[in-house]
Amino acid sequence: MAVSPHDYDAPPPVTRTVRVTGEDLRARAHRDQMHVRLLGVAGGFCLIFTVVAIKLSIATVLHPMAPEKRQIASQIPEIPKIDPKGSLAGDFSLPQVHRASIIDRNGQTLALSLPVAQVYANPQELIDPQDVTKKLKTVLKDLNEEETTRRLSLPKQFVYIARNITPQQELAINSMGIPGIYFEPGERRHYPLGNMAAQIMGTVDIDDHGVAGVERFFDKRLMSDHHALRLSLDVRVQSVVRDELATAMSTFQAIGACAIVMDVRTGEVIAMVSLPDYDANEFSHASNDARFNRAVTGLYEPGSTFKLQTAAMGLETGTIHIWDRFSSIPIHIGRFTISDMKSDHFAPWMTLPEVMAYSSNPAAAHIALDVGGKRQAEWFHDMGFFAPVPIELPEAARPLVPHQWGISTTMTVGFGHGMAEPPLSIVRGTAATVNGGILITPTLLEREDAATAAPQEAALSQGVQTAALEQAETDTGSAKADSSSDALPTPQGPRVLSEKVSALLRRLLRLDVTSGTGRTAESPGYFVGGKTGTAEKIGPHGGYLKHVNISAFTGIFPMNAPRYAVYVMLDSPKPTPQTHGWTTAGWNAAPTVSKIVSRIGPMLQIFPDTAHAAQIDASMAIPMHPAVPRGVRPLGPGNDPGDPRKAEAEHRAAKAAERKALADQKAALKAAQKKQAQEVMDE
Amino acid sequence: MKFHKRLLRAEPSFRLLSKLWRISWLYVLLICTLAGIGYVTLYSAGGGAPYPFAAPQAARFAVGLVLMITVAMLPPKILVRISGPLYVVSIILLVAVLRMGHVGKGAERWLIIGGLQIQPSEYAKVALALVLASWFHRISYARMGNPLWLLPPAFLVLLPVILVLKEPNLGTAVIIGGIGASMFFAAGMRLWLIALLLLPVPYLAKFAYAHLHDYQRARITTFLNPESDPLGAGYNIIQSKIALGSGGMWGQGYLHGSQGQLNFLPEKQTDFIFTMIAEEWGYVGAITVIGLLLMLVLGGMLMAIRSRNRFGRLLALGISMNFFLYCLVNLSMVMGAIPVGGVPLPLVSYGGSALLNVMLGFGLLLSTWVHRDSRFGESENPDNP
Repeated sequence: MAVSPHDYDAPPPVTRTVRVTGEDLRARAHRDQMHVRLLGVAGGFCLIFTVVAIKLSIATVLHPMAPEKRQIASQIPEIPKIDPKGSLAGDFSLPQVHRASIIDRNGQTLALSLPVAQVYANPQELIDPQDVTKKLKTVLKDLNEEETTRRLSLPKQFVYIARNITPQQELAINSMGIPGIYFEPGERRHYPLGNMAAQIMGTVDIDDHGVAGVERFFDKRLMSDHHALRLSLDVRVQSVVRDELATAMSTFQAIGACAIVMDVRTGEVIAMVSLPDYDANEFSHASNDARFNRAVTGLYEPGSTFKLQTAAMGLETGTIHIWDRFSSIPIHIGRFTISDMKSDHFAPWMTLPEVMAYSSNPAAAHIALDVGGKRQAEWFHDMGFFAPVPIELPEAARPLVPHQWGISTTMTVGFGHGMAEPPLSIVRGTAATVNGGILITPTLLEREDAATAAPQEAALSQGVQTAALEQAETDTGSAKADSSSDALPTPQGPRVLSEKVSALLRRLLRLDVTSGTGRTAESPGYFVGGKTGTAEKIGPHGGYLKHVNISAFTGIFPMNAPRYAVYVMLDSPKPTPQTHGWTTAGWNAAPTVSKIVSRIGPMLQIFPDTAHAAQIDASMAIPMHPAVPRGVRPLGPGNDPGDPRKAEAEHRAAKAAERKALADQKAALKAAQKKQAQEVMDE
Repeated sequence: MKFHKRLLRAEPSFRLLSKLWRISWLYVLLICTLAGIGYVTLYSAGGGAPYPFAAPQAARFAVGLVLMITVAMLPPKILVRISGPLYVVSIILLVAVLRMGHVGKGAERWLIIGGLQIQPSEYAKVALALVLASWFHRISYARMGNPLWLLPPAFLVLLPVILVLKEPNLGTAVIIGGIGASMFFAAGMRLWLIALLLLPVPYLAKFAYAHLHDYQRARITTFLNPESDPLGAGYNIIQSKIALGSGGMWGQGYLHGSQGQLNFLPEKQTDFIFTMIAEEWGYVGAITVIGLLLMLVLGGMLMAIRSRNRFGRLLALGISMNFFLYCLVNLSMVMGAIPVGGVPLPLVSYGGSALLNVMLGFGLLLSTWVHRDSRFGESENPDNP
């Protein structure tokens, strides 16, 4: 049966005399068998698809797949009922423990003590130490028989046998009825969520006293009051933040990362993550790097994030105005050069919105000089940048502040270099600029007024509704931004800048996301605002490492009614093809903030408002070149008090004058002495 | 009619036209319908906007269509000739990905060549279907009876399976194995041999579990017991199940699925896109998608049965099997029936590598259809070719 190989569409020959051999017949049989098998496979496909379709019908219509009870059981907050005497009781019938539990703001358990027992013996009362050891070994598998027998034979009255045995083991040993064996009640600390918030929790020592984290800070409170300690953390948010941060850390192969979500009005820390982390139950095995809480112990140069502070102090002191322009030409001072990284938007003179949006270092240095070193230092002092950040963690670090506050310091600090702050401090400072000008105090405890301000959360914490079910029932159709809510809590604390300047800064921060370096932080409907900050890392031998960065983004949302700050920092991120070789914050930290915002927004009862987006954005807009009011001479070319050469000359003149005054004084003193001596001689 | 046919055959360019005419345009329409559903859903996943998902995916689909039509024009003779080199290249790429691949979510799967991300395991599947089809095409039916002749193709299957397992990517390894197994079966492997090979499977499974990666074992344990880690690995399954259940008969309405729109559903534009369809369009929408997928699979099988050459039949089977397993793994995953495994829903999910691979497969499928009556170089009798 020869067939032309190219004859792809010819009908088979109609008539041909062929000799049908046995081989041919066998081949035909094989072909038939192949048809049968192909049909069989097709039948199998149909069958399996039918099964899938049936499963789908069951899942959606016949037996709607609401989450099974056992699946969401762990999402239902369990709150021990509290009896009038103040001890734990109720459904659990927990035996009395001394150390109170720690729960998150929704009642999810973060740390709890479970009863255990210590077994000890009075060797004097034992009949046969060897026999006793053998019996104990059947229950306590880890017991070292030889050693125990030796110790039980000692002429003592008290010997520990084992610590932290479970209630079952205690019962088993007790029912053996061995004379001379006693139990001492104790308790053991457990952290059911493992890595979640490990550095915040800290740990307790063998005697149940806190040695790190909130366990140490609230040690007395936890031992004296049996009510669970309610933190401001929200485990759901914490989990999302940790998830996104871990993804960013592996994507950009960073060596470390941290993130903070804070309520800018109450100062409540909703989430605080530092990576790498560890299982809180395995504190003793954790490396120092994992134990290190980057958010409060790590000190990092704030970088461009600090330009916000520079703009704030300039506007608040009335030194600069929104319409002023500042030179962005590189400044040479001593052996340093202050210049910008890229020049896409280079203009020799930039307006304040441009300085913020395109993040110009020389221009920020100019503003700092306009304000002056003395007022700058006072501002930082008032904003709390010179003191350890107030937070309920013993690990809060003291910032690194320059000793000498000369001209070069004034300029470099103006764009966030030469000073190192813990991330939480940066978040606190940023919160003050957007919440209407109040310096709030960050806290890990739930504010009481906050609980009443968010009734839904209160309902949740009563365990009435599970988080999961609520998510499913939420109707996005009626979702609205929480912008008009007058239930927002009022910030408490000293006023550091005026309401008017704060409103202006909000617009500038929003501008950075709509058309500046932070564009990738945008999350539609949430009106994110914020500032990028990239600082070069300081190498092991001093001096900045080029291309090894600390990339951070401080975001605020929703910018039209600021409620939450979301801070993300990546330590030494590597470039990827997606970032086109960049390691600056706009390419890694800012997109992470965007992802976090869109996932935690709904959990925090803030829903995206895309319907009124244009309207809200228009109300937040600020022109890149604001108009100069009539009769005002703006700062700019020809009117530049912050010219570094001028400042240096002034500084030199001042020094010279000082020296001259000193010399004059000395001369006068000498003259006086001479005169005195003369007088003495005269007498 | 006859004149028209003669005219078409006379000129090579007319011949191409004739070939184009023979493409099953109904099948192409089916493919476009599914891709259209994908566009609409990605539009919703992007928060009701063509960016960042829908528009780029539509552009990729356009590229895929051109690729598919081009491949459909290739005659089986050429396909047989290039199958060997293609297979060798895919193996080299798989080795390269192990050596210098980009690590994503605990596994090395991606290779970046000139700024282009490719996932070699995707192409290995198509290359394997091609090389197996040409092997079984070359050896005769009679030789199927001798297990020695089955050893080389068995090696051809095991090599990529082992390389993909090393990445490690369990889901794709199973799919590659499935393609190979189905082709062995259809090519006429003796039933007693199949039974003999199936015997040690349970022991192998036990051994394999012991050698799984931590994250894979975590998936299996969370699948068996999702609440063991409700905030981490179990989160996806729980959220997916809630979304499915909330869809009901008619769904929550387009752009109004709360789980998807509020980002409770992770990976909603890739792995969990079917959940999003079920949430917004309900049972009706979801069953429509399943129906369309089944029509594509059965269409592929029809092309296999209708083909007059052994190569075409086996190739069409391998490609249909690949598509079928893709769908099955993804659908079972989102309904919580098997552990989560990073397999997208073909044609619908966001992603370039998987889409181009599927379109390449459809191109080969259409090629077997276009050349269905070709009975080239089939040696029916090994001693008398």
